[in-house]
Amino acid sequence: MARVRYVRKLKELRQNVIKMGNATLKSVEEGLEALEASDAALAERVIKNDDVIDKCDRKIESQCMMLLALEQPMAKDLRVIATSLKMITDLERIGDFTVDIAEEIVSMGKPIRTPVPLSKFNELVSEVKSMVADSIETYAQGNIEMARTFESRDDKIDSLYKEIVSDMVGTFVEGQCSTESVADIASFLYITRYLERIADHAVNIGNRVCYMEEGERNYLK
Amino acid sequence: MDDNVEISVKNLSLWFGKFQALKNISIAIPKNEVTALIGPSGCGKSTFIKTLDRMNDLVDNVRITGEVIYKGRNILDDDTDVVQLRKEIGMVFQKPNPFPKSIYDNVAYGPRVHGIKDRKALNDIVEGSLRKAALWDEVSDRLNESALRLSGGQQQRLCIARLLAVEPNVLLMDEPASALDPIATSKIEDLLYELKREYTIIIVTHNMQQAARVATHTAFFLLGELIEYASTIDLFERPRDKRTEDYVTGKFG
Repeated sequence: MARVRYVRKLKELRQNVIKMGNATLKSVEEGLEALEASDAALAERVIKNDDVIDKCDRKIESQCMMLLALEQPMAKDLRVIATSLKMITDLERIGDFTVDIAEEIVSMGKPIRTPVPLSKFNELVSEVKSMVADSIETYAQGNIEMARTFESRDDKIDSLYKEIVSDMVGTFVEGQCSTESVADIASFLYITRYLERIADHAVNIGNRVCYMEEGERNYLK
Repeated sequence: MDDNVEISVKNLSLWFGKFQALKNISIAIPKNEVTALIGPSGCGKSTFIKTLDRMNDLVDNVRITGEVIYKGRNILDDDTDVVQLRKEIGMVFQKPNPFPKSIYDNVAYGPRVHGIKDRKALNDIVEGSLRKAALWDEVSDRLNESALRLSGGQQQRLCIARLLAVEPNVLLMDEPASALDPIATSKIEDLLYELKREYTIIIVTHNMQQAARVATHTAFFLLGELIEYASTIDLFERPRDKRTEDYVTGKFG
């Protein structure tokens, strides 16, 4: 095998992206756990730990630039680096949305009170969490079959999001919400929106993995 | 033949004695584009371009089969006018090889051989060729100086000007920048970009970044076979053959 150092550096790059993915996933899981338990202390930790994700982002970007500048990568190597460089932005944004959710939890300081059942919301949370986990798995394994499921899964998430927003707006129209619950509902809608955006970034990752593996930019969306 | 194809090679095989250097090559070279040939040493890429202007005729024990169709004729046929062919399909070599003559006489050499004697006509050809080769501004005030006093990069552009003076259609370039520094190399590369408007260019290069920069199409040769031929972006971004992938990523061997 030629270019042993280069191959090792590429391997390190992929491992670092996976590490960043796992840190982001941990943040998402803890953020949603804090949401479910109304645990402001855990939410504070999620906010603080975002630094870890941001540091990974800067480190990996630097690794990618070094490889591009010094190694003249081609073919799949080039696609791995291009994918990694773009994917870390998606992961960093997922981390930021998770921080936004955590900040809502801290600012509320109590369980969310909404005039509608939370079953759809809980389903949304579960779907988003599994999409983030799977997006990292697709990159780690180069699993394009899994990546191709993201489009329909995201459609489901978009539908849930629209239904939840519609239900909430309905409570305003029908005057079901009290004055004090308006702030809760506003926070709740923000959180729902952040979750929907997190799923969009997971879809981006799936698309990028398809490009990395196949070289075609037939993006799903 | 497709109007956009300058040279169509069909089932070309070549032997030096018992050694088969080219194995059943078929490729369509597009008109007014730069086509790069890449591959490890000894893969047959230089042998291939030498076949396109019958330079291999000069080697003993050569046997060639297949067709090289240019202007509707197989140039491998015995009745091909090789002098005329080499006027239309000219070659630039790895190491600049100016004649030990003045800059002017180097460029005027070809037209004189082809019978042009008129001084004004020769002056126009020399100036036009040197301008096309992006050398005129650097040498216009010293045309009578020896070409051997030029830098390596200038000598290579002079050799290109010498080629352009006989009005070729196709320029074959066998690693034309491999002996040059990065600035001289970039001047040659810029020149290729300009020249492809008027000429079909085929360049052999070991420098894959150079192929990626200058060529619209790239062919990868290995052990006398054409492994993959595609648009340059496809070949370097998403090669179809594992051997191409291994070569362009530097993991070959």
